[in-house]
Amino acid sequence: MINLFKMDLHRFKNNKIMYLLLVIFSAFEIFGIFMMKQYEQPMEQGGTSVSSMNASDFIQLVLSQTPSWVLMYVTVFSVYFYMSEYNSGFYKNYISMNNARMYSVISKILILGMFTLLMLVTMVISDLIGRTIFFNNAAIGDWGYFVKLLVGQFLLHWAFSILVLFISIVSRSMITSLVIGVVLALNVPGMVVGALESLVGNINLSSYLLVNTIVSTKDFNNMNDVIHVASVAIIFMLIFSYIAVRYKVKEDLR
Amino acid sequence: MTGAIIEISQLTKQFKSKEVVHKADLKIVKGEIFGLIGQNGAGKSTLLKMIGGLMYPSSGEIHLFDHAVGENHAYFERMGLLIEDPGLFPHYSAYENLDLMAISYGLKDRSKHINELLKLVGLDGSNKTKVKNYSMGMKQRLGIAIALMGSPDVLILDEPINGLDPQGISEVRKLILELNKTGMTIIISSHILEELSKVATKYAILHHGEIIEINSKEELLLKCEVRIEVEVDKASLAIPILEEHLNINNYKVISDRTLYVYDTHVENHQITKVLVENGVSVQSIMKHKQSLEQYFLKRTRAEGDSHD
Repeated sequence: MINLFKMDLHRFKNNKIMYLLLVIFSAFEIFGIFMMKQYEQPMEQGGTSVSSMNASDFIQLVLSQTPSWVLMYVTVFSVYFYMSEYNSGFYKNYISMNNARMYSVISKILILGMFTLLMLVTMVISDLIGRTIFFNNAAIGDWGYFVKLLVGQFLLHWAFSILVLFISIVSRSMITSLVIGVVLALNVPGMVVGALESLVGNINLSSYLLVNTIVSTKDFNNMNDVIHVASVAIIFMLIFSYIAVRYKVKEDLR
Repeated sequence: MTGAIIEISQLTKQFKSKEVVHKADLKIVKGEIFGLIGQNGAGKSTLLKMIGGLMYPSSGEIHLFDHAVGENHAYFERMGLLIEDPGLFPHYSAYENLDLMAISYGLKDRSKHINELLKLVGLDGSNKTKVKNYSMGMKQRLGIAIALMGSPDVLILDEPINGLDPQGISEVRKLILELNKTGMTIIISSHILEELSKVATKYAILHHGEIIEINSKEELLLKCEVRIEVEVDKASLAIPILEEHLNINNYKVISDRTLYVYDTHVENHQITKVLVENGVSVQSIMKHKQSLEQYFLKRTRAEGDSHD
């Protein structure tokens, strides 16, 4: 297990696409903040203007806007990292090792966790840079709240990357996986389920969907919201990790 | 204990309604170079994928190293695989591809292992070139190097000479023979029988997913040799006549009435003439000559007819 993880880590560290994605993401994040400054609207009564937001508020604002760019980048990397190995056939060289099928999926889940963490760190740094430059405001706010928000969002985004990995494993197609990932990042299923719920009335299951949870603003001082975020993230992570591993273990490899 | 390093029995693989491999049985003994011959689509790759642990059989059993594989896949670890195209990252060099494998095996002295393997397959001079710029032959040799990384007991090579030029074929052949000298068991598939015959010590002919024949090298050569098959009333009477009048010494008595003459300096009519003149009646005489390829085609056609 540890050797396969080391192998994937080696690929991860030497992966130019990963660094490129992070740089592009950072550049667009800072450019987005510049555009916010250019088109900043005066807030209605009770609202908070972007210039007076702390880091937690700002991150919640950025993540709540669909399409979620973080999810888009996570999709691209997740699909790329798995499919580049699958399409090259490199897995055939090590898959006959004992338990390699299971370990290779777990190893990729860990790598996706690392990439998700890097994405969030890049986002936080880029936001701080952008807000400092364009809004002259680098306030973090309540550190406890900020850490809870980041941990919650990290788990949710990691769960999303595992979902995309599962889709890649099952579909075995880069294009199909990317299209499904983008559709999910646009929260199309969440909107459809939400619309159906509004027709039926008095049901709110859609709020427990993964992407809906990611893009909805939560109060991390409220225990119910914290439990909601943690449970959705952990349940999605466990379910999709399990079925991804099961699928890979049973898969006939071409 | 059967003495076989690999033993498969009644191995079947079905994709939806199509049976790609049908009840295959074979035994491979340690140190053999086992050739799997079959036309494109005969089921060679699927059979090798099942033996190598890439695919699960629909039914049947695989025994590796005298143990039934069943749910325990640890025995597959002792195999090095090169099935269909070599699995290589095209944007990495040969060294980097091998390095990834060395990491996955947890090797300590990675650089030493990698350089030894690159030297063994003759790629030591080009370890900085990206694999995407490699010729097919170089990719195949790198694929073999990767398959050898874990010092496997069995090496499975699926069509390793596909797309190679004559020099590449010769190099791969030489490499296979060298590896076999170290005691490694090798399974090699090909649809080019002539080439396979230069390395393999045992052969299985696969046709429409079924193993229709398994031969040792000697048996196969016997079936393909040049000989005159003579059927007479009594072989014991014919032999001294042939020795005395035609100086034939290289022959084999197959039965009371049949003998095979291997001396190539005589013709059918000379044998007939000398036997008849000495009172031995000839029932039939026929020159038997076929290449390995002709034999393979004859066998697969016959099998095809019996299927029809």
